[in-house]
Amino acid sequence: MRERSLEVIEVSKSFPTAQGRLQVLDGVSFSQARGEVLSIVGASGSGKTTLLRIVAGLDTPDDGVLRLNGREIDGPGPERSLIFQQFGLMPWLSVVENVLFGLAPSGLSKTEQADRAKDAIGRVGLQGFEDFHPKALSGGMQQRVGIARALAVGPRLLLCDEPFASVDAMTRQTMQTDLLNIVTREGVTVLLVTHDIEEALFLGDRVVVFSSRPARVIEEIDVEIPKPREHSVRTSTGFQEQRAMVWELLQATA
Amino acid sequence: MGAPSGNRVGAGDAGGRRTGEPARLRTLAARPGTLSLLILVLVLGGWEAGGRTGALDTFFFSTPSVIAVKAWTLLANGDLLFHTLRTGYAYVAGVVIAIAIGATCGLAMGWWRRFGDVVDPYVVFFSAMPRIALFPVIILIFGIGDLSRTVIVFLGVVFPVLFNAYIGAKQTPRLLIDVGRVFGYSHNRLFTAVVLPAALPYLIAGFRIGVTLGIIMIVVAEFLAASAGLGQQIAVTAQSYQIAEMWAWVLYTSFYALLIVRGTDYFERWAMRWA
Repeated sequence: MRERSLEVIEVSKSFPTAQGRLQVLDGVSFSQARGEVLSIVGASGSGKTTLLRIVAGLDTPDDGVLRLNGREIDGPGPERSLIFQQFGLMPWLSVVENVLFGLAPSGLSKTEQADRAKDAIGRVGLQGFEDFHPKALSGGMQQRVGIARALAVGPRLLLCDEPFASVDAMTRQTMQTDLLNIVTREGVTVLLVTHDIEEALFLGDRVVVFSSRPARVIEEIDVEIPKPREHSVRTSTGFQEQRAMVWELLQATA
Repeated sequence: MGAPSGNRVGAGDAGGRRTGEPARLRTLAARPGTLSLLILVLVLGGWEAGGRTGALDTFFFSTPSVIAVKAWTLLANGDLLFHTLRTGYAYVAGVVIAIAIGATCGLAMGWWRRFGDVVDPYVVFFSAMPRIALFPVIILIFGIGDLSRTVIVFLGVVFPVLFNAYIGAKQTPRLLIDVGRVFGYSHNRLFTAVVLPAALPYLIAGFRIGVTLGIIMIVVAEFLAASAGLGQQIAVTAQSYQIAEMWAWVLYTSFYALLIVRGTDYFERWAMRWA
């Protein structure tokens, strides 16, 4: 077994509503090896995003423990960064300024920040767009900025919250391939949350299947498709079989 | 005031297919700017004609030509500059202080919620109060001078700026705050990095309302108590039946108001150029 990165142990979370407390996560446990891409799939509203927010430190669990590289997670930290479903770019900042936004609290020197931003923008293929404002970019390009911002800080764990759900279908597939190439090349540990089974399988080394609310881990699946993966693996028999299996699992819990 | 409102709207490119004098004239005539000017000429011409034929009582309305001569005299003899500076000084001071305090307090109330909850009832009370009711008190306390007028302008401008800033800060998108938190911004640092720029459209809206209200406030203040200033001159000339001069002051004041409103337009476009 490779070195542990993220450990999620018996995490529960409920939210107060007008109809009483709504249990969202119910004793969720799994762990992730360093360098592994782990996908969490579940129906919409199954608490996946809540779990991700807890890992990011934006929310606190009612119960349970989370550790990253052996240290307990207690609020946000520079070793984790997040790619947001709705991009979350500052509309008043240009592309390069948005990437620098993520680096500003890092304590790195200005020149180091500028170098890292330039490098990250290059990695997502946005050279030449440094001075554009988000409004002038397509959804796909905006999410590339979001990815660059998340990568620039050099996270030990990259969290992705439905990263391509707000992007059109064609762009989505291109970006999935691009993201996969980047994280594979750089050995980034990725925790991806999605309701898209195909995305979960295409990007993941392993897939954790959540039951619908309250979320529990109902299955962990190793994705048996060697990396690097090309777009074409989506039509392979192995891929389609695993896809059908996950679909069955999700249907059974609904 | 039916002042020409620029040439952004309207059909500007009509005609012009044929060459030659008539076509060019038609193109020129179809420009909104030309039409606006034409209306102005017609109104002034009608006013002048009305005054000369006796259809308009020149005692109240004077005539554009007489007013123009008066206006020129005021410009040439330095009266205009003198009174403009008296009014302008108090206006600018009041506006600047109001924006500084209003924006700071409003944003702080929106971002540091406990502070906001404590201060909120007072802000609601003072903003609901007809501030003209305070004029006599202010004049009593601060005397007839620049200070009173500055305070009056301040009171007119500060609340719209503050309220808009308050709402703006409260409406900062949750998502953008989360982004800041994920990347390690402290609550205080989020204020300058996210809340302030996100509230900018609201701040500008408040600023727009504030500067316009400030103009009304200072002119009214000068009606009531001032030893100099544009509003004071309007009041003095009206009370002494110097109708042409009164109109000249009214027009100058309106012209300044127009400049301020247009200036705000340009400022808004500049500040929001990313939107």
